[in-house]
Amino acid sequence: MNNLFNLKNKKILISGASGGIGRTTAKILSSIGADCVLIGRDEKRLEETLRGMHGGNHQVFAQDITEYDALKELVKQAVADGKPFDGMVHCAGIETVLPLKILKPEHFEKSFSINVIAGFELAKHVIKKKHFNENGGSLLFLSSVMGSVGSPVKAAYCSSKGALIGGMKALALELAPKKIRVNTVSPAMVVTGMSKALLAKVTDSEKEAILKAHPLGLGEPEDVAWVCAFLLSDASRWITGTDLKVDGGYTAQ
Amino acid sequence: MEKEFMDNMMEILENDEITLDDEFRNLEEWDSLSYLSTIAMIDDEHELVIPREDFSNLKTLRDILKYIKKDKEKNK
Repeated sequence: MNNLFNLKNKKILISGASGGIGRTTAKILSSIGADCVLIGRDEKRLEETLRGMHGGNHQVFAQDITEYDALKELVKQAVADGKPFDGMVHCAGIETVLPLKILKPEHFEKSFSINVIAGFELAKHVIKKKHFNENGGSLLFLSSVMGSVGSPVKAAYCSSKGALIGGMKALALELAPKKIRVNTVSPAMVVTGMSKALLAKVTDSEKEAILKAHPLGLGEPEDVAWVCAFLLSDASRWITGTDLKVDGGYTAQ
Repeated sequence: MEKEFMDNMMEILENDEITLDDEFRNLEEWDSLSYLSTIAMIDDEHELVIPREDFSNLKTLRDILKYIKKDKEKNK
């Protein structure tokens, strides 16, 4: 029997690859054989990600993905080597932490632009017939437990992550005839630069409450990256339209 | 307008080799999603929603283009 838990010869696009969960996902996917196409805003940090990866035909594109018009050409260039994509994972995202009374439309627009629209725009170009494996593949979007449950002062973040889950389900149905699976991964708090910045702002008692809300403790980027690897691999070939929580028990309560 | 229309249809059908005289329903790429995309594209670009009944009488891409042009003439 074939071991399907690998990504040998699979070409995967990773947005948000210059740090956090995106960077770790790139490392882990490369360790099980994937050829990765890394996208991030900062070229230096992308190169750093690349240095930590296992060998393979990896490519790096420094690009702000909210410049939507550039994405078509980027994806075209990424497959100029003749190898089509087998999947993508949209890790790019921002977390807006503001109470409703000072939230402006621009805050929502920025959240949706990076967290949602850029991900779906990338998917649009990646799944084109000439860019994607004709036997199908897997698209992943990094959502959050905040896409399903609420938290004070996170209306912009929660609504954008919830939008990803809704859009993912629509795409799962739309792309099933092409054997393209579409899922979201929803972590609770993972120790990254983004969450460290948040933890630095809260009081000790608030910090304690956050820790208590995670029965298995806070997550590490690897905890999420391995789940992405599974959902991108053929081991998950019958899973589509699912929001997989990777949350240390956060939503079990 | 003709070039723009064909560029859009090439994008929708993901086929760069289509011609105006192709009977689009015979193209391998034509399916319900490309039908929806075509109707939406024409609505976006020309503010025209082609009724399903009218659309069913159109055979080639040129027929669609003629329909759009005729509508433009009418609304001049």
